[in-house]
Amino acid sequence: MVKRLFTGVVTLMVLSGLGFLFFAWQPALTAIEPPQAAAFPAEQIAQGEQLALAGFCANCHTVPGGQDYAGGLGLDSGFGIIYTTNITPDPETGIGTWSEAAFFRAMRKGVSRNGAHLLPAFPYSHFAKITDPDLTALYAYFMTRTPVKAEKQRNTLPFPLNIRLLQAGWKLLFVNSSAGPYQPRADKSEAWNRGAYLSEGLGHCGACHTPRNALGGEKLDHAYGGAVIDHWLAPSLTHTNPSPLPWTEADLFDYLRNGASPLHGVAAGSMAEVVHMGLAKLPEADVRAIAVFFADLNGSATVDAAPALATAMARERNDTGSEADHGAQLFRTACAYCHYNNAERPAPARPELALSSTIFASDPVNFIHVVLDGIGSKDGIPGLYMPGFAKSLSDDDIAELASYLRRTRTDQPAWPNLIEAVASNRKSLTASH
Amino acid sequence: MTQFTLNGQSVTVDVAEDTPLLWVLRDVLGFKGTKFGCGIGACGACTVHLNGRAIRSCIIPLSDAKGGQITTIEGLDPAGQHPLQKAWVETQAPQCGYCQSGQIMQAATLLKDFPNASDADIDAVMSGNLCRCMAYVRIRQAIKIAAAEIRNGAPHE
Amino acid sequence: MSKFAKYAESAETSTGVSRRGFLIGAVSTGFTLAFLRPDALISSAEAAVAEGAFEPSVWYDIDRDGIVTVNIIRAEMGQHVGTSLARIVADELEADWNSVRLSYVDSNPKWGYMVTGGSWSVWQSFPYLSQAGAAGRIALIEEGARLLGVPKTACIARNSVVSGGGKSITYAEIIRKGNLARIYTAEELKAMPVKPAADRRLIGLPTKAMDIPGKTTGAARYGIDAEVPGMVYARPKLPPTRYGCTVLSIDDSAARSVPGYIKSVALDDPSGTVPGWVIVYADSFTAANQATDKVRVTWKNSDVTTVSERELLAHGAGLIDTPKIGALVVDDPGVDHVFATAKSKLERNYTTNTVLHFQLEPVNVLAFEKDGVWEIHTGNQWQSLILPTLAKALAVPEEKVVLRTYLLGGGFGRRLNGDYSVPGALAAKAFGGKPVKLMFTRPDDARFDSPRSCSVQRVRMAFGDGGKVLGMEHHATAGWPTQVMAPSFMPKGKNGEPFDPFSISGADHWYNVGAHRVRAISHDLANKTFRPGWLRAVGPGWTNWALESFIDEAAHLNGIDPVTFRLALLDGHGKNAGSAPNAVGGAIRQAAVLKRAAEKAGWGTPLPPDTGIGIATSFGQERDMPTWCACVARVKVNRADGRVKLEKLTVVIDAGTIVHPDGALAQTEGAALWGASMALHEGTTFANGQVKDTNLNTYTPLRMRDVPELDIEFIASTEVPVGLGEPATTVVGPAIGNAIYAAVGARVRHLPIRPKHILDALVGKPLGG
Repeated sequence: MVKRLFTGVVTLMVLSGLGFLFFAWQPALTAIEPPQAAAFPAEQIAQGEQLALAGFCANCHTVPGGQDYAGGLGLDSGFGIIYTTNITPDPETGIGTWSEAAFFRAMRKGVSRNGAHLLPAFPYSHFAKITDPDLTALYAYFMTRTPVKAEKQRNTLPFPLNIRLLQAGWKLLFVNSSAGPYQPRADKSEAWNRGAYLSEGLGHCGACHTPRNALGGEKLDHAYGGAVIDHWLAPSLTHTNPSPLPWTEADLFDYLRNGASPLHGVAAGSMAEVVHMGLAKLPEADVRAIAVFFADLNGSATVDAAPALATAMARERNDTGSEADHGAQLFRTACAYCHYNNAERPAPARPELALSSTIFASDPVNFIHVVLDGIGSKDGIPGLYMPGFAKSLSDDDIAELASYLRRTRTDQPAWPNLIEAVASNRKSLTASH
Repeated sequence: MTQFTLNGQSVTVDVAEDTPLLWVLRDVLGFKGTKFGCGIGACGACTVHLNGRAIRSCIIPLSDAKGGQITTIEGLDPAGQHPLQKAWVETQAPQCGYCQSGQIMQAATLLKDFPNASDADIDAVMSGNLCRCMAYVRIRQAIKIAAAEIRNGAPHE
Repeated sequence: MSKFAKYAESAETSTGVSRRGFLIGAVSTGFTLAFLRPDALISSAEAAVAEGAFEPSVWYDIDRDGIVTVNIIRAEMGQHVGTSLARIVADELEADWNSVRLSYVDSNPKWGYMVTGGSWSVWQSFPYLSQAGAAGRIALIEEGARLLGVPKTACIARNSVVSGGGKSITYAEIIRKGNLARIYTAEELKAMPVKPAADRRLIGLPTKAMDIPGKTTGAARYGIDAEVPGMVYARPKLPPTRYGCTVLSIDDSAARSVPGYIKSVALDDPSGTVPGWVIVYADSFTAANQATDKVRVTWKNSDVTTVSERELLAHGAGLIDTPKIGALVVDDPGVDHVFATAKSKLERNYTTNTVLHFQLEPVNVLAFEKDGVWEIHTGNQWQSLILPTLAKALAVPEEKVVLRTYLLGGGFGRRLNGDYSVPGALAAKAFGGKPVKLMFTRPDDARFDSPRSCSVQRVRMAFGDGGKVLGMEHHATAGWPTQVMAPSFMPKGKNGEPFDPFSISGADHWYNVGAHRVRAISHDLANKTFRPGWLRAVGPGWTNWALESFIDEAAHLNGIDPVTFRLALLDGHGKNAGSAPNAVGGAIRQAAVLKRAAEKAGWGTPLPPDTGIGIATSFGQERDMPTWCACVARVKVNRADGRVKLEKLTVVIDAGTIVHPDGALAQTEGAALWGASMALHEGTTFANGQVKDTNLNTYTPLRMRDVPELDIEFIASTEVPVGLGEPATTVVGPAIGNAIYAAVGARVRHLPIRPKHILDALVGKPLGG
């Protein structure tokens, strides 16, 4: 996704002119003395902590094993690495000198206190929907963290992508900053509205799950339609999701709260972080609210899951792979001892691939990613573990396996160019390790 | 330093965390019952339990075992009298025997998931374990004998 | 592989073992049965013991508690050979089976020739172990009678107790109280009164193998488990091809970043076993493994780096086309005349691809020097073959090398060739004699395997009126393991040319076919590209593919039922009448197993569509030691995709006396499934001078879900016990091929059989190979 964003910026540079420059310029806001912790009511700080979890702030602003919110996590843009910023209240290297107004402007308009445009890897277009009291609580929370002195690492973006001013053009096209905070819908329940508020705003689900146009802007007419980002597919959250069984409110809640839905699959990669670093720690009602919102969005309440479940379990039982089929051989040799099932429903701890959202997905990236890298202790649910096969299986092996499972476990069209897809995933994986 | 529980005892080892668990068990801790066959998780000779599930220890980095409960063939039953082990002797299943630790450990998970395992269940789950002597007929028979004994209340794990 | 047996006997004679006197003597721990030292000029057993002029414990000993320890010189690799051999001793000794223990011994000249192969251990050991057991029994009865004060003729021995005249005494008491010293000459020993078959109390009765319990608890120790304090680990960096590469330079700059990496050394191998090898040392296997991947070696390459399977098969076909070359193993007069005047003829070509041993324990070796002796710790099937090579490689006398014995994580013939121990020994030598554990990864093992060579065969038959068989020719070429590894074992053909008996056996069958010619040709390109190996059943594993597929084709050509056709040829006349002791009955016994298998499998009864049964028969390994086998395979063929479902194998075997019935059944189950695996599942090809499939992601042996129903029967017999480890392997492939033909009319002539071959055959396309 980040790559797209930059393509957009370059294009805009060509179109830019003086008028654009006028629009793009933003003033620096006055630096303040870092406020005392006592200046913020305790309940406001506590509320801010919950909101920070719901916004998954730490997922990007804390390096694994590093100091909380000190930034420094490298995001691969495809052109270079963007490092996240220090959002502790350190006056020199963090946001210690930011007034509440500066914080509000950053969150809603993507502009730093000093007037520099923030890169859209920071999803301010979503944060713009956060209400004033919630933003105030977040400000209170961050300004009361332990200040950490941590200089921001320089991004490795090449010219001209490193020209901050150009980000303004992207905003002009894709950020509707005048829309203001989230407005509840009267025709929906309180839970639905709470779910929508969290998902669309602070939770910025669309930042990954909504496909982007050629210039990197979210295609709002395809909201939550699913998109590939950083070698993972953030699947469609609408009725277009090809999973064999509907994602019901209960399934969504299981998945979001615990990291797995027995009838769909497990959270892996950055979605695992979303669950385990964020959602798992939120009040249950908030997670339930998100499930309510997306269950309504995908229309699962009207679908009868039973026939699809029966079909899937029959597919597993009537495995049609032949002994000469390389993919079938591999499955029987390296996969079936954990994944085989032979009943009306999958056995506990035996993930059923004929039900797996990953095998049904339009893009094989998640399958490939999981086979290469496995499901670790940070993914899925506690106790569920799958080793990575990056060192064991060749590109051809994994492509054959993917093709075999797609053919025998789903009714979906074959995945194209599998060997290339595996090779490219493997490369990105090697690079990130 | 990496800590995990091995056959009920806490152990701590000081080796590179990308070392496959198999070699930690065999060469660092001296548990030689777990065997090396293919190194790619496709023969099952190195099967042990991680948190009660059969896994191929040759493709599992030590880091993934951190804090986990590992059971090897030596720890399946303190006296080597698990219903599966007894059935293996009764049917005279082992030939060269090299794969059998892994076969037994995999069979233990099989019977946990499928207490009334059918031939199809046994074939599907056990086909990940290569027996190069091809003692498959007896392995299948032994699993059924052990399953019956466990169903009848024999103590196990 | 009975040739090994014959060789071993002659080896024993040449070292004087069999001429030596035999001693039963009391020693401090009990009593022992032993050979007198060759130089001993001792007249009494007491004096011999007093002077220590004997080789202790050559066969077995009994301690003061009555525990019988039988020394096993054979490798334990799944056949439970120790149990079988101990049963032979214990039966004659009338020992209590519960008091019997096994001791697997290290290499030492006193044991005679050490080899475990060719399904031959029981057959070869049976006579002398029986005699040794009988000698002990007689001595114990004599001495027991004396202690009881009862005439020895009134005494019998059972379960380690001598009883007579209403009194009894245990073996343990006899040993503690009596004087068992005896000396027998070699002639006396040979004349020991061995029990008649009807009196056997252990042989042929069910028992539990003694090596099994340890294999269910993780206690069993294989070569890979051997370790000594302070050892380092090493992994080989293999050259591009098996032979002919030399190391030009080693760049280990990348490997140095691996923690624990020690060094990389190019081996200097005076024995020429591992040319162009580099050994990578580290303080753990994982480090050695990672470092080896990072070491860059530049080689001067051999001239076989481009050889492919296709080229090997084409070259083989060219050799077959070349008259006059090769050895004539059978060459009856009149073959050419018969073919020139025949009413009709049939000629067919058969091919097989390369097969890997893929024994589950990758080869490995721990080696070090201790007190001037090189200790080689590894599982091995043929110590006596590799010892001289190890001595040559290390440049020390043979008595300075000892092979320590371990269980084998699969043999199947791979460990007859002990070549993997050579780089281990050299790796230790290059490390100052300190202990080095050389480990092969699975791909290393596959690339360094001595695989079953691909083969090309041409079979011809000449017919007279009514399909009467008048003559037959069988030409075969493959890489010859014996030529490469043990050339002195090669007999000469009728034309004086030496040949590898293990690469043609099977073609010299027991069918009466009139004028018969068998020609064996060494595949020079195969021998040069890789080291061909002995693999379970060796030549008969593929000669019978051609022979038994061809016999089926010949029967169908003449419109004769394949069983009837074979039975007519297995008439037991002339050279196929058989002879004592090993082949009593000859072809008549082969006809009997054939008939029995057909009957059991319901030969001739109607079958569902696209389902067929096929039959094949063989004499197992060698004409000198025939194990009569027949197999009926039932398959269902999917015409749409060419898939074969092997539904059932019916196997009938006459192996003479069965010493350990359940062990025999287990061996036959395994051998039959190996046959099925090589026919339908596994197999590889050469590409760029290397085997293409080096691990289980693409090499696909039969798995549990592929196992067909098995119905195995042994013909009850008291004839000489012959081999069982391999024979069933020989008949399964052709039975499957013949069944496919019966099912859908597709004739396949290539192993392994792939769906593509069947689809091609169904539309009449020529064989692709």
